[in-house]
Amino acid sequence: MQGSSLRRGSIAGLTAGSGSALPALLLVGLFFIVPVVALLLRSVTDPEPGLQNYAALFGSGTYVRVFLNTFLVAAVVTAVTILVAFPVAWMLAIMPPAYGSIVFGIIILSMWTNLLTRTYAWMVLLQRTGVINRTLMGLGIIQEPLPLINNLAGVTIGMVYIMLPFMILPLVGTLRAIDPMTLRAAALCGASPFQAFRRILLPLSLPGIAAGGLMVFVMSLGYFVTPALLGGTSNMMLAEMIAQTVQSLLNWGLGSAAAFVLLVITMALYALQLRLVGARRTGGGL
Amino acid sequence: MTRSFLSIRAVRKTFGAFVAVHDVTIEVPRGEFLTFLGPSGSGKSTTLYAIAGFQDPTSGDVLLEDKSLLAVPSHKRNIGMVFQRYTLFPNLSVAENVAFPLSVRRRPDAEVKRKVADMLALVRLENFADRHPGALSGGQQQRVALARALAYDPPILLMDEPLSALDKKLRQEIQAEIRRIHRETGVTILYVTHDQEEALHLSDRIALFKEGRIEQIGTGEDLYVRPASEFVAGFIGNSNFLPAEHLETAAGAATVRLADGSIVTGLTAAEAFSKGQKVRLMVRPEALSLAPGPASAALAVDIVDTAFFGDRRRVLARTASGDEIDVRPTSDTIDPAGAAAGSGQRIYFDPASAFLFPA
Repeated sequence: MQGSSLRRGSIAGLTAGSGSALPALLLVGLFFIVPVVALLLRSVTDPEPGLQNYAALFGSGTYVRVFLNTFLVAAVVTAVTILVAFPVAWMLAIMPPAYGSIVFGIIILSMWTNLLTRTYAWMVLLQRTGVINRTLMGLGIIQEPLPLINNLAGVTIGMVYIMLPFMILPLVGTLRAIDPMTLRAAALCGASPFQAFRRILLPLSLPGIAAGGLMVFVMSLGYFVTPALLGGTSNMMLAEMIAQTVQSLLNWGLGSAAAFVLLVITMALYALQLRLVGARRTGGGL
Repeated sequence: MTRSFLSIRAVRKTFGAFVAVHDVTIEVPRGEFLTFLGPSGSGKSTTLYAIAGFQDPTSGDVLLEDKSLLAVPSHKRNIGMVFQRYTLFPNLSVAENVAFPLSVRRRPDAEVKRKVADMLALVRLENFADRHPGALSGGQQQRVALARALAYDPPILLMDEPLSALDKKLRQEIQAEIRRIHRETGVTILYVTHDQEEALHLSDRIALFKEGRIEQIGTGEDLYVRPASEFVAGFIGNSNFLPAEHLETAAGAATVRLADGSIVTGLTAAEAFSKGQKVRLMVRPEALSLAPGPASAALAVDIVDTAFFGDRRRVLARTASGDEIDVRPTSDTIDPAGAAAGSGQRIYFDPASAFLFPA
């Protein structure tokens, strides 16, 4: 916030608001900018000056595979989160406010519960002898336990659950702005429920889907705990790889390079989001 | 053609213990402009929604050309509708909005294009085809909504208070447009409003709703000249109501005694009254005059106030018992000499134009 007001206000802004912004700027500088610069320096100096860490990162099939897997997981998680969040958000948008705030409370409550607790809970549910597998086998629906943990399915289930609030909240805002009468009008115009969804509701909710989707995607890219506990060794994600490189292999240079690449990708996506949101605000005028 | 076009048969809608619509029955011939008029909460919109398919009636049936609509979902009813709020699709241009009902019906492109042009010409918005709804005024948006609702030639057009969000001048302008479009297209229109002037201006017939029932249905003139109840008389046009006591009815002509003791005879009674029953005498302000006509009844009044408007005069009179009477003599009954304020004056009316309702 402070940064953007300075940038927009140029010199006048510098003289006007800079006094009160100074402590915050110091804090950001000390605890965010300095470590990032240190990280960047380390990635090009450790163990010796040069770009060999980046060369190793992009040259090795293992590391490229980790990158691709990270994108794959983030993309799958984002897609599934959108699919699950949309009906919930729509229900919240059209619900009477009294009930809506109860459902909102439940969603927020899950966000406040400790991340590790929630992830361990999923481990209990998803493992071979977990509640889900035993129930399904008890009902005779499956003969063998389903592989729900230590693979992509486990990571997706666990992460979608954690990401849902970040998708639902922006989407509810967008959907609430849509007049439900518009959909009745579409129905009387002869649009089937699917046509009304595809041609009216979906286009109108795209800004919310884009905002939430990008947020979920960016958060998923750097996620550590859930993939580490619910994922398998064959589909390691970038954050896990960085932890392993630094903690087990003590290769600070390579770890720093990987972390810096992740940071650049994240910031690029964030810039893209800002541009998209900005374009919509100035362009549409609706 | 004796077969009816749209039949609303004993439609009833309840919400829990509340009965929103009580067994409403209406037969609507093809091409009619029928208005559901009534105060808010009188069941007029609920009845319209039953036809649109937004709310299934609790009981009763809605038939279009002898086929029940109730089992047909909204999107297959092929009914046009214009809503109270602007419900254009904000993500589509004006032309795309009008084309929407045609494109969901998968009509060929050439036909869609021609029809959109025709419709925009009909509502006189040819030059706005590429605008988005957000860039239009309220009146323009409702005209686009009208074009969209008529684009697929629906047999029925429903309009739910389409002008209530517009200012007075714009309302009159679009009323004229709606009349013209009804004339040109011959579409059957069911129109909901709480504005009696709008109803009188637009409709072939008016169904006046009160507390979920149709109080009276007929032409605007029927409702005005022959109101079935005090509610109808009070809702359509202006009325004076005077408390009275029924003395007798002979050969269809009733005699009453007013609160000031004067006797009026030759009145039309809405129903059979017993001797001594309390009643209310209704007389329209413009049926009253300051000069006696043939066969007029007279009331002794004090003239409290008088105002001259060129084509008419407005006089406020008060009877000895304190009831105020609004008098609006039309041009042919203006009597300048009798218009001065003062006590001991008389006002006159033809008893045949007055009505008696139960008190």
